[in-house]
Amino acid sequence: MNQEVKTITSVDGQLFKQLIEAGLNWLRTNQQLVNSLNVFPVPDGDTGTNMLLTMQAAYNEIQNSGEKKVSKIAHAIAQGALMGARGNSGVILSQIWRGFSRALDNIDSMSVIDFSNALSEAKTTAYKGVVRPVEGTILTVAKDVSSASAEIIKETDDLEKFLEYIVNAADVSVQNTPELLPILKQAGVVDSGGKGFFFILEGFLKFLRGESLETATAKLVQPIALMNGDDMEEIEPGQDYEVIVDFRPTNPLNLDNFYADLTEMGTSIQVGEGDGMYRMHIHVPTENRYLPIDYTMKLGTITKVYMENLIDQMEQKEADQQKQLNLIPVEPGQIAVVVVSPGFGLSQIFASLGAAAIVQGGQTMNPSTEEILHSFENLPTDKIIILPNNKNIFLASKSAKEATVKHVEILPSKTIPQGLSAMLRLDPFGEIDEIFEEMKEAITEVDTGEITVATRSVEINGVNVKEGEAIALFNSELIASTPSIESACFEILKRVDMNERERLTLFYGSDITKQEVNLIIDHIREKYPQFEIEIHEGGQPHYQFIIAIE
Amino acid sequence: MKEIKNPMGNVYVSHRAISTIAHQSAIESYGVVGLAAKNFAEGIAQSIVKDPTMGVDVKYDGQCIEIDLYIIVEYGTRIKMVAESVSNNVRYRVEKTIGIPVDKVNVHIRALRISDTD
Repeated sequence: MNQEVKTITSVDGQLFKQLIEAGLNWLRTNQQLVNSLNVFPVPDGDTGTNMLLTMQAAYNEIQNSGEKKVSKIAHAIAQGALMGARGNSGVILSQIWRGFSRALDNIDSMSVIDFSNALSEAKTTAYKGVVRPVEGTILTVAKDVSSASAEIIKETDDLEKFLEYIVNAADVSVQNTPELLPILKQAGVVDSGGKGFFFILEGFLKFLRGESLETATAKLVQPIALMNGDDMEEIEPGQDYEVIVDFRPTNPLNLDNFYADLTEMGTSIQVGEGDGMYRMHIHVPTENRYLPIDYTMKLGTITKVYMENLIDQMEQKEADQQKQLNLIPVEPGQIAVVVVSPGFGLSQIFASLGAAAIVQGGQTMNPSTEEILHSFENLPTDKIIILPNNKNIFLASKSAKEATVKHVEILPSKTIPQGLSAMLRLDPFGEIDEIFEEMKEAITEVDTGEITVATRSVEINGVNVKEGEAIALFNSELIASTPSIESACFEILKRVDMNERERLTLFYGSDITKQEVNLIIDHIREKYPQFEIEIHEGGQPHYQFIIAIE
Repeated sequence: MKEIKNPMGNVYVSHRAISTIAHQSAIESYGVVGLAAKNFAEGIAQSIVKDPTMGVDVKYDGQCIEIDLYIIVEYGTRIKMVAESVSNNVRYRVEKTIGIPVDKVNVHIRALRISDTD
């Protein structure tokens, strides 16, 4: 195609806003990839999420701005990034935007030379934030991008060529980070923050080229005032759809007529006004769902339409309610057990064994001290035993214990099977010290196998782990990396002392299907007929299997 | 003094060694532009000799390590996040290099440095 291409040589406030939006969207598309660049084989990184939330906060500041001056937009971005900075990478990113915006003071529309100066100031500001900068991080990438931009402005004033050059430089810089930071090289990854910054810049370029960012650019913003979360109204017949239309009437609106017309179409009518804009809310039957939109279109310009299928939403909620847990009620004076559980199925099993409260959490989503504390405070008794069921949750449990006046004991259960084994010893009417000792003893009577998929290649404990392979952990120690989940199961079973153990209980996670599970179980039964085998849906994320061996 | 038992004998790690590691990892943390003297006496001592453990206080009660950091933060950064990341960084480095669990890292923001005004 031989279309005439218009060269862009300067960026005003509105174009910059679009670039930032594109950077944000492209980062969002690649968020998981950035998250996966963490240094351990079990997925627990959140750099991508942190950078995304920081950029989102920055973009929120300018989202509705019609400002033409790039300096104003840049300052708003810097402000938003600062206030919304999340995590280490977010703080560095906010400093980058802060420096960037400072260089644009009083500039209405930036040329590539201004752009380059801004990148240089961004680098300087970012480096000022730390006494001893660690190279091989987002800082290095910012530095390399800045030097590259200084080179390219000597050759072109075309924004696309400029961006192409610096994006390329960012890519090279990111690829080089393992050479500068040994920990990255050991883990076989590039720096996650640097990669995130690269995606933002690449988003700019993709936008200019009109390439897809794989996310819808049109985004529905939920009308907060009208969404009232928990208390959902009963749906009466003829209220299948909720339709909300924001519009600006061409002529002053006659509210009486407007209401009268809407009443013909549906119910639950609400109209709000502000600044010459109107928001109309109505519930209509399915066949009428487009009527209110067509109708308001005749009255003026529609700026936003929001439509929701209430029936579907209601069904969803009912389905959720069915998934409620039946926790055992506790009386004052009894011992209550608080359990940290990573999946719904496991929570149900814990509940059936007598857990008084469940806190959602596990390897990749550690619950906060507040959540745990909250569960303590909500129980009507002051004798509590908590089962963290993961080493990473010990600390939060300890902080929660210190923060409450109740008598809390923390059971050092590192795995789910240890927690389950301990639960079997619970007697809510007993003496807490005695029961606690018994539960502690029970922990040692079970072996734990865990199977997950490696998110990258790495060598740990002399085991050579390849990305995408199944890895087997026996009592939390990495023992093998194998091509299939099934062979990982067998690796674990090889470690089991056959004279001591006779029962296998397998909890399968949300990342594996029932069919796959059945196939694997059949093979285990064939090879180990001496075991009594039980299977439950654990519902835990990331871990295909958690195995209790008693 | 912290003792690590070992079949070959015992290893003793001094407070000072732990402080040095904490100090080094603190200044590598983003947003931290310096450590501050924790009291007047240290301030004077610091003006005479350069101390690699300045701004760090290590307590050890026989079971757990508690570290206090007195830091100076760059103005214009989100201080809460800087404090969180320096605390994580120090904990991780101390635990990883010495192998003793760190119970608490308390971060005291002693001052902000303004290097540019917006």
